Amino acid sequence: MSKHRVSRRQFLNYTLTGVGGFMAAGMLMPMVRFAVDPVLKGEDAGDFIATPLKVADITNEPQKVNFTFTQKDAWYESEETGTAWIFKNEEGKVIALSPVCKHLGCVVDWNTDKKNQNRFFCPCHYGLYEKDGTNVPGTPPLAPLDVYPTKEKDGFIYVGKAEPRKGA
Amino acid sequence: MKWVAADVEMYQKAAEYVDTAVIPLMPVSFGEDMKQNASMAEFVGILTGQIEKQFKGRIFLLPGFVYIKGNEGSLKALQEWENTLLDKQFKHVFYVTSDSSWRHHEKELSGDLLWLPSLPLENMQEQQKVSIVDDQVKQLLSLFTEKWQDE
Repeated sequence: MSKHRVSRRQFLNYTLTGVGGFMAAGMLMPMVRFAVDPVLKGEDAGDFIATPLKVADITNEPQKVNFTFTQKDAWYESEETGTAWIFKNEEGKVIALSPVCKHLGCVVDWNTDKKNQNRFFCPCHYGLYEKDGTNVPGTPPLAPLDVYPTKEKDGFIYVGKAEPRKGA
Repeated sequence: MKWVAADVEMYQKAAEYVDTAVIPLMPVSFGEDMKQNASMAEFVGILTGQIEKQFKGRIFLLPGFVYIKGNEGSLKALQEWENTLLDKQFKHVFYVTSDSSWRHHEKELSGDLLWLPSLPLENMQEQQKVSIVDDQVKQLLSLFTEKWQDE
């Protein structure tokens, strides 16, 4: 037996404090978690959506990249697929273009028209865009393709909400 | 464009650019093939939705043509649709269906019939579903562009 004798009263005190402490912590922890939750979320990329494209894999040739996000439309919340054409321009800057034709909203493709190499081509009404997204005058579209703001995080490209640009 | 108010507004401003109508043909029955017919309607609905997304500016996706399987009046009803559509703005009409019985009537319709066997999407994983439908859509898209180039 040790020299330090614990009395019955002391023993009960210790155990009660211990158990009570655990119970209080169990109740408080989730509350604290809820309170600081916005701070924890702040580390996320915000409104930026992750794409499966690695920064290292971006080339000078536009690549079609699909990404998914949830969209809320009054009653429905649905998983939507977005697409971006991502490439590096001559200065090495990463460009992400929206594939939605500015004419009537079809989906444009890169380099599919044999007569117009290295341009974005809209199959609906034969609209054309240069590689940087500028609309080719004389074809139906009146504005350049929208641009996604981009961000790099953990080696992957994140895209924000597509923004329109001024017409050519 | 779809049969919703916002798209119709856009259509009215740019009607001369929209020359192709797409009608999904969806059978309904309450017999033994009930589930099969539902699956066809589901598949065709998804497929045409994806086509519309790609060609939003030139295609008008009409609400599905729903008919009772085996009903003899449905061919006549569809022909009436066709007459109305071709009478107005549309130059091309495409029907998309999984119901093989339409193939016997292909000659009686002036629109193009795109028949595809339906796939049991309900048993598939999300990813698999998307890639399979994408594949099918891609093949259909070229049929549309070919038709447009023939003009």
